[in-house]
Amino acid sequence: MMIYDKLFPPKKIILANNKVVEEKRSKTPFIFILIIIGFVISVNVTGFSFSILLNRWQEFFVILKEMIPPNIDYLPNIWKPLLDTIKMSLVGSLLGSLVAVIFAILASSNIIKSKFTAGIFKFILSVLRTLPTLVTALIATFVFGLGTMAGTIAIFLFTLSYIGKLLYEQIETINMGSFEALESMGLTRLQSFRHAIVPEILPTYLSTSLFCFEGNVRYASILGYVGAGGLGLLLNERLGWRDYSSVGMILVILAITVFIIERISEYFRKKLQ
Amino acid sequence: MTTVIEFIDVNKTYPNGVTALSNVNLKIEQGEFVAIIGLSGAGKSTLIRCVNRMHDINSGKLIVNTIDVSALRGKEIRQYRRKVGMIFQSFNLVTRTTVLNNVLLSSVPELPYWRKVLGVFPKETKITALTALDKVGILDKAYMRVDQLSGGQQQRVALARTLAQSPEIILADEPVASLDPVTAKQVMDDFKKINKETNMSILLNIHHVELALEYADRVIGIRQGQVVYDGKASEVTQSVLDSIYGDVQSQDELTIHPTLQPQS
Amino acid sequence: MSEMIENQFENEPKKGFYWISIATILLVAFIWSVSSIEVQSLNESGLTIASNIFRGLMNPDLELLFGLTTGGVLYLLFETICIAFLGTIFGAILAIPIAFLMAPSVVPAPIAYIVRLVVIVIRTVPALVYGLMFIRVTGPGPFAGVLTMSITSIGMVSKLYVDIIEDLDISILESLTSMGCTTFEKIRFGIIPQLFSNFLSITIYRFDMNLRDATILGLVGAGGIGAPLIFAMNSYRWNEVGSILVGLIVLILLVEFFSNKMRARLVKG
Repeated sequence: MMIYDKLFPPKKIILANNKVVEEKRSKTPFIFILIIIGFVISVNVTGFSFSILLNRWQEFFVILKEMIPPNIDYLPNIWKPLLDTIKMSLVGSLLGSLVAVIFAILASSNIIKSKFTAGIFKFILSVLRTLPTLVTALIATFVFGLGTMAGTIAIFLFTLSYIGKLLYEQIETINMGSFEALESMGLTRLQSFRHAIVPEILPTYLSTSLFCFEGNVRYASILGYVGAGGLGLLLNERLGWRDYSSVGMILVILAITVFIIERISEYFRKKLQ
Repeated sequence: MTTVIEFIDVNKTYPNGVTALSNVNLKIEQGEFVAIIGLSGAGKSTLIRCVNRMHDINSGKLIVNTIDVSALRGKEIRQYRRKVGMIFQSFNLVTRTTVLNNVLLSSVPELPYWRKVLGVFPKETKITALTALDKVGILDKAYMRVDQLSGGQQQRVALARTLAQSPEIILADEPVASLDPVTAKQVMDDFKKINKETNMSILLNIHHVELALEYADRVIGIRQGQVVYDGKASEVTQSVLDSIYGDVQSQDELTIHPTLQPQS
Repeated sequence: MSEMIENQFENEPKKGFYWISIATILLVAFIWSVSSIEVQSLNESGLTIASNIFRGLMNPDLELLFGLTTGGVLYLLFETICIAFLGTIFGAILAIPIAFLMAPSVVPAPIAYIVRLVVIVIRTVPALVYGLMFIRVTGPGPFAGVLTMSITSIGMVSKLYVDIIEDLDISILESLTSMGCTTFEKIRFGIIPQLFSNFLSITIYRFDMNLRDATILGLVGAGGIGAPLIFAMNSYRWNEVGSILVGLIVLILLVEFFSNKMRARLVKG
């Protein structure tokens, strides 16, 4: 942004009493032009066209119409994969959020004195975060075979990276005064951590873990699409058969499940605050 | 001396039945610095807000610079408000934008339509705004975001915003109530300075009696919607204060106070 | 004195039971869940594949990674950025009216509730299903991806917008009224400046997420880098997999870095 100020030097405004005020040029027009350019390029690259959208938007509702009414007879087939999905998210989230604590501590530069170690763990967490869950699941199916194990691993890695990052950011911004006070009283670093830092971060940690679990149920439902178990398996199969009314039923059940889990988790998260 | 604000038998009752003003008769002259004191809920705020029609009066007349305020309609109200500046206890600034942008808001109603839509202000307006900032001594903060300023500085931004409007009257509703004592004094100094330099009439509500007596030329005491004292700040005695703030139960005896008679 | 201390000691809130019961519930749920997860021992082929992937990551197919053809990683990443960019813009714009309709401080509570319900339904349908629906409109390719990203962005973005709307400081409107501003002027100069930077920050955050999610689109033929990745994996071309993954990781790290910078500037000014 220094370059911008040099290209467009600040405007000088002289007041009646000869005081001079320098007004920096607004960057809004510049940013606006950048967005327009990006927009035009993206429209060309993606082949986006409003006329197609206007002419053919009804086609969007073809599948939707076939989903209604949902195929109730398909219901008995849904329960097991649904439970699988929830179980995958539960195990993945629980293990992920537990391991995240270890990673977060090791990545916090105010707890770990070695900059190198903290840096390495930060890097691992960042790289893990960049991988889309579906890609992780896909890789996991190659390594662990098709099934719920691959899905659980994907959820686990996602949870680990997500909570790990939030947690170390929180630990690093925490007030270290109480930690030092306890250390000065002769407690070990671990004991000081337990009594000074844990109470500060615990509510947020639990709340993000719940939030993550909530989102994971949603994610887990599509992992089966690449063979990682759960509802996605059914979705893939039914979409392949173009059996959209069964797809509709799966989605209805999924919506209800997600809604219930969100309500429960929201209730507990409110209590934590 | 010319009268700028005149209350004639003004009454105001809220829809919920609470009487905020009863039979208020006041005359405020050009260039006066008037402090209104009283218990909270006594009607101080209502009195101030009637002047620029933020509240409507039920009966009586309110004349500001020969304009009958309660007769104004729609657009006339907005045009009338351009001439009356107002300062609030909570500053009422857009904290997410710069100081200058906040001061520029005062010129918004006078801009052509395209400028309003784009939010681009002409140079003259900016100079007016910057000059106003200079008057309250925070010219150097012009391009800082408001949320980075202290409370006192924020109230000065609000003051500059009002000055840039070049009003005939400044109304201030508890301008220093959310400031610490030192900053409160600084802001009151600003008010005093502006009052002396521009001869604008200033009408402010304040619950710090000491500040009111120190800065204002004239003090108006309000109690349960009635003016119970109206006189020079230097003549306010302990018994006057008792009549304004004293025990509410013994109100009957206290309303018959020698200084009750309206001045002038 | 000692009696008082003893009384206070008795008064200590008994949290132990609460924590133990929560831990028990979690443990039971965990055991119940683990039982149905098909824990397969890592067989040899799994290990080989794992090491192959790792080796692929270390030795990416450089020609694919830096080649400038439309099949190269650079172009595919570029296409993915374009899909995410357009999808985010459309989603962010569509989310504005929806967010206002979701805010109980703007519309009557029943309407807000119904709109919230609709948004939950929109959010629940997986991106893959939207992808298939939109392919019927646009044919396979990135265009369908853009539309999918737009609709999947709406849910989260509007939910975050609502928090900002509910947090609006309306005291500024009072002072604008006292200055003689019209309703339009009050919205333009009192409301929009408060919303703008926050909405923009949310939008940038969502762009970040969309970039990650755009890889899913390839599964159903809605463009982006996902499809080549899956092809390469299914045909065990690990060097290609490596180059695509390296490209993706670097891109997402870069975008995350810049978007965090921008958002910090927006919020702090």
